[in-house]
Amino acid sequence: MSEIRSIRARLKGRFLGGVAALAIGAAFPAMAQDDAHYGGTMKLLGVSSEGTLDPHINYTARYWPLFIYTHDGLMAFKKVGGPESADVVPDLAEAMPEVTNDGKTYTFKLRQGIKFSNGKDLTVDDVVASFQRIFKVSSPTSGSFYSGIVGADKCLAEAETCTLEGGVIGDAATNTITINLVAPDAEFLFKLAVPHAVIMPADTVMKDAGNQPIPGTGTYMFESYDPNASLIMVRNPHFKEWSKDAQPKGYPDRIEYTFGGTEEAAVNAILNGQADWMYEPVPSDRLAELSVSNPDQLRVSPLVAWWYAPLNVNIPPFDSLQARQAMNYAVDRDALVSVFGGPALASPVCTILPPDMPGHADRCDYTADPGEFWSAPDMEKAHALVEESGTKGQKVTVVADDTSTGRAVGTYLQTVLTELGYDATVQSISGDIQFTYIQNTNNNVQISVTQWYQDYPAASNFLNVLFGCDSFTPGSDSSVNMSGICDKGLDDRMKAAMALAGTDPEAALTEWGNIDYDMMKLAPAIPLFTPKDVDLISTRMGNYEFSSQFHWLVGNSWVQ
Amino acid sequence: MLAAILSRLLRMVVVMFGISVITFLIFFATPSSDPAARIAGKNAAQETIEAVRKDFGLDRPLYVQYGLMMKRLFITRDLTSFANRGQQIVPAVAAAAPATLSLVSGAAVLWMLGGILTGITAAAWRGRWPDKLLMGISMMAVAMPVFWVGEMVNLITQNRLHDTWAFSWVPALGYTPFSQDPGLWFRSMVFPWLTLAFLYIGLYGRMLRTGIIETYQEDFIRTARAKGLTGRKVLLKHATRSAIIPIVIMFGMDFGVLVGGAAVLTEVVFGINGVGRLTYQALKVLDLPMIMATVLYASFFVVVANAVVDLLCLLIDPRMRRA
Amino acid sequence: MGASPEQETALPPADPSAGEKVWSRRGPWRRVLQGLLGSPTAMISAALLVLIVIATLLAPVYAKHVAGTDPFRSGLSAKIKIDGKPVPVMQQSTEGLGLGVTPIGPTWGPQYMLGADGQGRDVAARLLYGGQNSLLIAGASTVLCLLIAAIVGIAAGYLGGAVDGVLSNLIDMIWAFPVYLLAISLSIVMIGKSYAFGPFEISSGSLIVPILIIGLVYVPYVARPIRGRVLALNQSEFVMAARGLGIRPGRILWRHILPNVSTTLIVFAPMLMALNIVTESSLSFLSVGVQPPNASWGTILQDGQTLLYSRPMVSLAPGLAIMVTVLLLNLFGDVLRDVLDPKSARGR
Repeated sequence: MSEIRSIRARLKGRFLGGVAALAIGAAFPAMAQDDAHYGGTMKLLGVSSEGTLDPHINYTARYWPLFIYTHDGLMAFKKVGGPESADVVPDLAEAMPEVTNDGKTYTFKLRQGIKFSNGKDLTVDDVVASFQRIFKVSSPTSGSFYSGIVGADKCLAEAETCTLEGGVIGDAATNTITINLVAPDAEFLFKLAVPHAVIMPADTVMKDAGNQPIPGTGTYMFESYDPNASLIMVRNPHFKEWSKDAQPKGYPDRIEYTFGGTEEAAVNAILNGQADWMYEPVPSDRLAELSVSNPDQLRVSPLVAWWYAPLNVNIPPFDSLQARQAMNYAVDRDALVSVFGGPALASPVCTILPPDMPGHADRCDYTADPGEFWSAPDMEKAHALVEESGTKGQKVTVVADDTSTGRAVGTYLQTVLTELGYDATVQSISGDIQFTYIQNTNNNVQISVTQWYQDYPAASNFLNVLFGCDSFTPGSDSSVNMSGICDKGLDDRMKAAMALAGTDPEAALTEWGNIDYDMMKLAPAIPLFTPKDVDLISTRMGNYEFSSQFHWLVGNSWVQ
Repeated sequence: MLAAILSRLLRMVVVMFGISVITFLIFFATPSSDPAARIAGKNAAQETIEAVRKDFGLDRPLYVQYGLMMKRLFITRDLTSFANRGQQIVPAVAAAAPATLSLVSGAAVLWMLGGILTGITAAAWRGRWPDKLLMGISMMAVAMPVFWVGEMVNLITQNRLHDTWAFSWVPALGYTPFSQDPGLWFRSMVFPWLTLAFLYIGLYGRMLRTGIIETYQEDFIRTARAKGLTGRKVLLKHATRSAIIPIVIMFGMDFGVLVGGAAVLTEVVFGINGVGRLTYQALKVLDLPMIMATVLYASFFVVVANAVVDLLCLLIDPRMRRA
Repeated sequence: MGASPEQETALPPADPSAGEKVWSRRGPWRRVLQGLLGSPTAMISAALLVLIVIATLLAPVYAKHVAGTDPFRSGLSAKIKIDGKPVPVMQQSTEGLGLGVTPIGPTWGPQYMLGADGQGRDVAARLLYGGQNSLLIAGASTVLCLLIAAIVGIAAGYLGGAVDGVLSNLIDMIWAFPVYLLAISLSIVMIGKSYAFGPFEISSGSLIVPILIIGLVYVPYVARPIRGRVLALNQSEFVMAARGLGIRPGRILWRHILPNVSTTLIVFAPMLMALNIVTESSLSFLSVGVQPPNASWGTILQDGQTLLYSRPMVSLAPGLAIMVTVLLLNLFGDVLRDVLDPKSARGR
């Protein structure tokens, strides 16, 4: 989409919205900010910790929602609930950037007067150093997100001596940062708003900081981290709110995130008032009970995510198109929805793009009566296709992870395969191991069960990342295109759509919808369902807000 | 004496070395054990993975990696985790050890007392209802998996009956060090102790009962009774002393392996972040340094416990000495 | 006490006052059988055990004719008739926020008598099928464990010296061995593969793997007490006398050592069965052993963990099955031990 046009549109919308808010705020001053809510200690529970405290490296849904409150990037996703949470707003930049040079040059003016949690002032040097650091510490997305920056190719090859020469230039005199891209990138502002691009002091250690907190500009700072015990966040003493949308002053004074125990124990703790929120999904056997006994403590929110079963298109039996299509006709997505907790918590999907992703178009072929939505499986068609494919009777192993939902889905798929005439078994392995196992072609995984959550709201995040030729690397543990599909025609169209997004966003969205439909004609995977997020919160928690990007906004809720 | 101690030490080294090598080999024989992609992060570029591989020394030959790992673990003690980069292994294990030690020691006291009491009582009233009842409960205890018992205990104490007078004193799940708050430490450990001890009370009670009954038939018992010793004294002093040997041996094995981390299910269910849970977390993500450290930690305790127990057995029953 | 056959057959039956157990050479098995037949406890428990085994073997009949379900297929969209009305097996919650799907509870009728598990499968049918796998795995691994433990324990205790040293080291290593690591590794290695060893084909669902693993895991637990017992027996007058007289070690082992050790083994047996059934559930959780959709009491127990708060029957049913089986084994084992031990007959 065109930055300038949409920026203007958004600015206008925001301006009007801002005026309205001011008006309302003036009329009801008590609603604006209730100082009594500031303070208190918020208690979070998680079964286990998940890696390093380094925002440039950690790529987990568990810690990203914390990093957005301890660190800031040039841009940020708006910290509000609802659809506006997908908007990017300037954070450490004073305003939206000037985009010139056909979309290849972004110029930001850095805000003045911001300090890190160690008291140091934020300068352009810190910004430049932080971008270099992304490559120096081998951030997971240095290749996928930031390789478009001029000089990145050298950095990817030789990380230690990374200078990003010509790519990120800081001018201390004018307080501006100029970023030059190799080619226009409609998603670049999104990429600047994720934790992998936050700004740290220039003297931060240029390797994974591990358990050592890195000073940041956010409203909170990390006080201590023991991966086996707890993570403590306290207020950043040098923080002064500069933008409520980008980095609001957090309500709790202290956040204690304790690791250990089980999901059931966490539910009990929240019900007993000993904790405020748990990261893991509420176990399914408590949902019905809680729906009735504590409905006001439950929050259900849509997620831009999907559960799917990648089909390996390069080895039998799913190297046969008919076999893949047969599976798509045969899977009863309603049954899988009930495994996940019912229609209130999941919806069947037929397309690769989840319903809330821009570009999604409601079209479903693989169902009893093709149309917009999925209705019922078509076993007759499925059987016929299996016969046609000639793969009947072959051995198939479904590889699932060891969560109870993963196992249930895997077992269900095995039932379907058996019904279609295959000799099917299912194997579940621990989640972290399973994720890399199913990517490596050396393991000859025929069908697996996995999920994908958006990194940012762009269709390419699903279509290009999961089914593009670039994501397929045989023999590697990092080959997210688990289907192994590489269709030149569709690949070219995807690249074209990404470029088109810069000039004509609406057309690009339509094209993504078409690519989705055409990709599903090749059936490289079985879309299963799109989940909703269920949060159980304590009775004392207020102002629960859910961001489509970072889920529950930790600092936006209060505990007193 | 010195020779015995030295031979035991040698044995410890042999056992630990053997286990470390086997662990290492199993790890690298497992497909998808290569941690580079997991360390590098989701969807990392191939160059990134290569850089990580070099950084962690994963491209060196196996024996070099083994040697480096042993050196970092024992000599320089700066071994870091594959899963939580920057997390030092040795301090992590050291921090988790007191929790496990508290759990297992307390449970051990309970199960030895309970087991011995059960065994003696059942043997004394052999064939009558106390015997049948105790043995029935013992069998139940052995047949109920500890994770199930733990979850049931939590269901009752933390959920269904949490607000009643009976269980409102039960604190939130988790471990509080004794030095921090002895009262809370005790209250939070009561149910974990009982849960863990339950199984072993059943086992030991049963073994002891059978042992006493058998020993009762021995000659020296008949002699003692003929000499006029009353039933109770005979029972306690003579029969138990002989019958307790297998219990002591079992205790050494159980205590050793539990302190080393076999109480993982109890730890997880009750939120006690001990060595067992640490091992389990490491296994789930195939974090080799942590696995290696916890496995060696466990084997150390197993060997030490067995050595101590062998010594105890010699003291209790000199017949066990080799002529 | 010499080696000549005539003298051996002329030996009197085991003298109870001899102070140790010796198996009589005259019809020992007949005596054992008579002892067992004469004990009501043994007869009833044996009969019930046989009943349990038969019930598990009749699982296919139950599933097909009584329950009318296929307990290995996901029953996520199944419906059954209760009072003439079709009722879904996986019940959508309709009260409050309407979140969650709960499997049907015990109907106490022919269909879904004990309710459904998290995948809509009939728990009662799976319990019966599961009994086959559990009893087989637990039984085989117990026998294997006792066999190996007896050999190792006796060898270490009796032979002493270097043999004892090596075996004790081995025992320590097995006891400290990271079994779960091996299990996880095996489960990953065996995905989609199968290996052939002579007549055995080992694939990921093969029961041979868990039988071997479980059989080995508890060997130290039994071997060390046995070794301790043997060490004590070494000092007993009879063994020392026999040795002094130059009697073959094999004979000493068979007539003196083994009988004394056998009671320990018999006491361990039911307890090991129980421990093994539970260990099997942990192994199956790690995907080594009984694979979905096959069932074992351990896997049903694991399934029940996620339904503990809403459908506790799913974990209670296998738990009770395990308990009852173990109890019966114990009762039978008690009588067997008494019968095999002539001295204890006096104490009754």
